[in-house]
Amino acid sequence: MSPASAAAAVVEVAGGLALAPLLPGLTQQAKALLQGRRGAGPLQPYRELRRLWGKSGVDVEGTTFAYRLAPVLAAAAMGAAILLVPAAAGAPGLGVGHDALAFAGLLALARLSVCVAAWDTSNGFALQGASRDLTLSVFVEAGLVLSLSVAALVAGTTDLGGIVAGTAGGGPWSTPALALGAVAYALVVVAETGRQPIDNPDTHLELTMIHEGPVLEYAGRDQALLQWSLAARHWIVLVLAAGIFIPHPAGAWWQLCLLPVTLSLLCLALALTETLIAKMRILLVPRLVGVAAAVAVLGIVTWLVEGL
Amino acid sequence: MTALVATGLAGLVAGGALSAFPGRLAPGLWLQAAGALAFGAAGAWTLCAGGTWGSPFTSALSPGAGIDGLTGVFLVTLALVACPALAFATSYVPATAAGRATGGLGALFLLSLIGVLCARDALSFLFFWELMTLVPAALILTGNASESARHTVFTYVAITHLGGAGTWIALLLLAHEGAIGNPTAIREGSGAQAVIAVAAIIGFGTKAGLMPMHAWLPRAHPIAPAHVSAVMSGVMVAVAAYGLIRVLVDWFGPAPAWVGAALLVLGGLSALGGITYALFQRDLKRLLAYSTVEHLGVVALALGACLLLRHHGEGRWAAFALGAALLHTVNHAAFKGLLFLGAGAFERATGSLELDHLGGLLRRLPWSGGAFLVGALAIAGMPLLNGFASEWLTLQALLHVPAYAGVWDGTLGALALAALAVRVAIAVLCFVKVIGLVLLGPPRRSACAAAVEPPAPMRWSLVTLAAACIALGAVPGLLFSRLVLLAPWPGSGEAPLRPGLDLAGTGSLPTVGILVVVSGLTGLLWLARGSRRAAASPTWACGQPAAPQLLWTSAGFSKPLRLVLEAVLRPEREIETTARGGVVQEVSYRGRVPHLIDAHLYRPVTDGALLAASFARRLQSGRLGTYVVYLIGLVLVLLLAVRIGAIG
Repeated sequence: MSPASAAAAVVEVAGGLALAPLLPGLTQQAKALLQGRRGAGPLQPYRELRRLWGKSGVDVEGTTFAYRLAPVLAAAAMGAAILLVPAAAGAPGLGVGHDALAFAGLLALARLSVCVAAWDTSNGFALQGASRDLTLSVFVEAGLVLSLSVAALVAGTTDLGGIVAGTAGGGPWSTPALALGAVAYALVVVAETGRQPIDNPDTHLELTMIHEGPVLEYAGRDQALLQWSLAARHWIVLVLAAGIFIPHPAGAWWQLCLLPVTLSLLCLALALTETLIAKMRILLVPRLVGVAAAVAVLGIVTWLVEGL
Repeated sequence: MTALVATGLAGLVAGGALSAFPGRLAPGLWLQAAGALAFGAAGAWTLCAGGTWGSPFTSALSPGAGIDGLTGVFLVTLALVACPALAFATSYVPATAAGRATGGLGALFLLSLIGVLCARDALSFLFFWELMTLVPAALILTGNASESARHTVFTYVAITHLGGAGTWIALLLLAHEGAIGNPTAIREGSGAQAVIAVAAIIGFGTKAGLMPMHAWLPRAHPIAPAHVSAVMSGVMVAVAAYGLIRVLVDWFGPAPAWVGAALLVLGGLSALGGITYALFQRDLKRLLAYSTVEHLGVVALALGACLLLRHHGEGRWAAFALGAALLHTVNHAAFKGLLFLGAGAFERATGSLELDHLGGLLRRLPWSGGAFLVGALAIAGMPLLNGFASEWLTLQALLHVPAYAGVWDGTLGALALAALAVRVAIAVLCFVKVIGLVLLGPPRRSACAAAVEPPAPMRWSLVTLAAACIALGAVPGLLFSRLVLLAPWPGSGEAPLRPGLDLAGTGSLPTVGILVVVSGLTGLLWLARGSRRAAASPTWACGQPAAPQLLWTSAGFSKPLRLVLEAVLRPEREIETTARGGVVQEVSYRGRVPHLIDAHLYRPVTDGALLAASFARRLQSGRLGTYVVYLIGLVLVLLLAVRIGAIG
């Protein structure tokens, strides 16, 4: 293993496990500053995780092991997804491969386990959130698969490491295919991280919840695991954005050095959209994400036409 | 081999005869299961060892039977579903006269399925094909001869026979061209090839339940006894897929691009339409039947990708796509058989399969409920289980269509990819709903609260199929590498013999690695979380007690998607408000999602046919004089025709 790929593996694992909560923290802090508030600092998610870890979990009456398993399984699926997403080209496979479509499957597994737990509690608000989340995921999943397909076609493989290498440099950007994929992926990022205009991460009103709904009943360490999963989701989709849909240089060392900068800028961009755009009406979201998926199809067609 | 086939044949015939005798039903069914197992072993042997057994394919009219690799895959599929289904039936089928008839006819059904798979000439193929269509009709009617069941069986027989004409045309034309078993006999792009392709897609597509020829399937599959539903949904549609693969892949040389494109369109429509209508069903078995339409759509998508890639000269990925289609057929048989048998167990335990009136069964029936949970997760395409492996392969195959197939076919491939991605997510929504309504939450009826585990054979057949889902999910590569070798074209390459799916041009799917990492992390986190729990609390309902009236229903959970798709689905709703003295006393609401293909395609056809029949009826006055006039008129017309030289 070359030093660069070893470093990529270290960044991948350590970053995903330890630095992931920093991303929502940074976003919240940037949002606070943009809105003229002082903010709690980017380390706030860590304080919350520590507080939650010290508390005991609460079981809902009448639940089965599905409720107990869900936070653990969601976090485990996210953990596997962290190992699957390469931090730079040439990152070694850590036993789970590097496939773009397997990545989509792991995201779906995490989502499903939490939504099944919502049925287990039969909490109306949890089920409302779950049904909304799964409805949106119909369109988000299409956007995710199609935008990754654009990148896969450009790079000639669905291996994420290969895609990061294949989209490096200025060449792939000389035509609009990858840019169209990036547009679709941007909406996938917003939806997967549960941010405005699709979802409001700060809501405390049950009726407006999407991603917070299904996890409403959890407390203590269960909730800590779920919050870490959400942070890990930020890490995964933003690292992929930095590695594929943001122009990046070819060398693995360059990519690793640039990663913190790109990630901070992406958090800032999330904070900016949250500040500028209000939350959409829930039933309009599928239309927006559906259009994004259509844009990705257009990206594939563009790529096909260029190949003539 | 010959011994295995003879054992299988003897087991099925003797078992079928035995189960028709009073008091011998269970031993007869076990004997049938042994026979099916022997055929499965013969299929597995041929698949693994390569080579063939029995006579080769012939376009002549002499009957012949044989087993090759492709037949072997489907024999394994048959055994995979039929053995647990027959074991299930030993406790499920009552030992009455109707039950014994079901037992005997079941053996005949399995024999007809095996006959189609092993037939080596057109006539025996068509004989067993017709038998395969008619025996389930008899099976349904022996168990349930109500007015609605008879109407459904009439629909089933009518549609499958109208569509089945396509099978006859395709097979007889192939025999006429001498193309059965001889891919060089038909020139690519010839008129005969076009007619055969269209006839085969209609004939086999009707039997496979591809939209829009599917109308019989969601009606007929649910009303059969559970173990027959499992075989119908798991194996009979797979046999239809076998016919499609045999004709389009095995007996054709490279097919023109439009054949693959047509399969992509039909497959995409079935996959999306099947799961969307499944989502809005209220009855568990009917939901599962719609999901069969969906999964055969996925198989058709993989097959379409295979034909397109082959047409464009990419033999390696065409072979992978064929492997994906076959692997998905096997996987679908495993989880669909499991789910139908599970539905049968639940129906036995609670008396009804209406989704809104179940609930809490995982707690009451941990074994069969747990097995059903595995099946539902597999069908929802979750990683670690078998559904994901073949869906991953199908997605990869479709993704490689744009990479190799030019602009137009490539665009179609991209659209099919989009349809498949959407379908996967709707399937998650649909089966999360099924898991929640059937297995979790409080019991919604007293019968569910008092449900008990079914007898051991039923329970263990479910657990066996669940184990098959897990095993096929853990090591799909072992089977896939054999399936890829079935591609008859040169340059098809091969997949490495590994547990996972490790294909060039993909990031590979190391199923064992993912299984170890996810389950290992789950175990670690479970331990890290510890067991410190506060006292259990009631669920949060804004301080109200969580009354049964507040429970979520099937319609409620799928409502957001119904609203989003309103423009397409055209749901109907009726709200009646009863007011007395300006005060609303009662509000009743009824909503349903009508089946658009039934309403806009089949209804006009049946209405037109009935109208034409009512006109034709006027000709039949019943008076002798009228018929004499008809006769004279006919003679005059014939004479006139001879006169002007049109005939004679």
